[in-house]
Amino acid sequence: MEQSGTSTLLQGAVQDIASGVVSALRGGDHARAVPPAGTDGEAGELALAAVRVLGSDALLPDLLLRTPTDPAQVALFRKAVEAYPPRADAAPTVRWSHWGMARTLRRVDPSYTAGPPDEPGTGWLDDATWQFLTHQLAVLAPLALPGEDCALGRLAGRRPVDVARGFVRAVRRRDWRQAAGAGRWLTLLSGVPDTVGLEAGLDFVELMGGQDPLVALHVQAARRMRAGALV
Amino acid sequence: MTDTRIVHTVGVGAMEWLWAHRDGFRLEPDADPEVGFLERFKPVGELALVCKVLFREGVAGSRQADLARRLLDHVWRETLDGGTMLVRGQRTEPASPIPFEVYLPFRELGYSQPEVERAVVLNHRLDSWRAFEATPTRRLGLSAFQRRFGLTPRPAEDEALRATWLAHTPEPWTVEGHIAYDITHCVFHLTDWGENPAGLPADIADYLATWLPAWIDDWLDLERWDLLGELLVVDACLPRPTLDEPAWRAFAAAQQPDGAMPAIRVMPEGDEEAVFDIVYHSTLVAAFASVLATSRALTELARAS
Repeated sequence: MEQSGTSTLLQGAVQDIASGVVSALRGGDHARAVPPAGTDGEAGELALAAVRVLGSDALLPDLLLRTPTDPAQVALFRKAVEAYPPRADAAPTVRWSHWGMARTLRRVDPSYTAGPPDEPGTGWLDDATWQFLTHQLAVLAPLALPGEDCALGRLAGRRPVDVARGFVRAVRRRDWRQAAGAGRWLTLLSGVPDTVGLEAGLDFVELMGGQDPLVALHVQAARRMRAGALV
Repeated sequence: MTDTRIVHTVGVGAMEWLWAHRDGFRLEPDADPEVGFLERFKPVGELALVCKVLFREGVAGSRQADLARRLLDHVWRETLDGGTMLVRGQRTEPASPIPFEVYLPFRELGYSQPEVERAVVLNHRLDSWRAFEATPTRRLGLSAFQRRFGLTPRPAEDEALRATWLAHTPEPWTVEGHIAYDITHCVFHLTDWGENPAGLPADIADYLATWLPAWIDDWLDLERWDLLGELLVVDACLPRPTLDEPAWRAFAAAQQPDGAMPAIRVMPEGDEEAVFDIVYHSTLVAAFASVLATSRALTELARAS
């Protein structure tokens, strides 16, 4: 019971941060994207874990809007990067997510001088079906950023039709988070079939699932990237 | 690429079931006028269309071909009373296209009923037939059937095609069950029920090749076997069919030991006629998909060797 209670609290904290990010991307209150560092005790730990769950997207407004980054937010983000290194047996998505956070941190925090960790491999997706590929990419949607090269992005770039099929599948299944994440990747890929109707598709995903801040976040990120935001 | 034996075996079982349950193809001469006498003609017409494909492709085993011929003879002689029931239907509802739609495949297979032919030629002259209100996909089918009969299609097929959902190649994530059936039937009509895959315009073939895998995945997951079977027919009509292995394996596994294919998930319960009315279509579709996919698989093998 305690575990599920903690899990619910964590989900709530993730959603709160995601809501802040969405608000900032829409041009609203930016300062609340990440709770202030120095929040002590249980609340502080919860915030830290929530930032780790959200990954690089916790600082997405800073990346996409080129706004000056609040030092307190950077401090919390850095703490999350350092507090949750991937274990030796971590899943590839966990490794990639952490790698993405470290990359973001180097961008926003000049004092973070730790050498970049080796880029994780993409071997687990070598023979992936389009269904599995899209699912994994959607989990790693925070890595879908314009102008940022990585092996995962190159792999996605080689399979635009498969990711587009996965987007269709996710919408049909009403898996709005997966659809939003896949749609965010699609905005970055060339060779996506025009018939997918991505722009209206993202609006549809937001209409149907946008009450979930994690869905709204990816849709909003995709819109910003389509509009030409650069990292 | 799916094992051709799996694909072929589905069709063998389906034909056995259809033959064993041939009495299910029945009309209701005393049907309530509100329901209409013509309502029960549809299964007979579909059976003839599928059997024609089976003969034409020439990949059915001799047992299958024999069953198909006996089934056709049975429904022509017994159900349609040598075509007399088509005449009766035409006289009951003179402007209805249903007797024409049912008659056409029989005519192509060598059966004949001169009075139905006269009615078709007369109806084709009527503005009423051209203006007959139908869904765009059925309208396309009527034009295709007019061509197959030797008449000038009214409206022309390319004009009829333009009004269909598929011709607009819309957002693929909007497809739900009814739209999916519109898609499959549009493809059936464009290809003369698989006889002429080149009848698919290039843009539509590209569109289908791109999105069909997503739809097959979806209806496979939902265990909608009737619709999945029709989508597998569409796959077999494409320039490069995928003969999707997970889909064919699951489709084959859903088939009953006696050859019946449930329409959705599992077999329904009820008396024999009620069960027939629910699963005859999915079983016919299984035979249809099997024969076309087998034919395409063998063509690919021949090309590769």
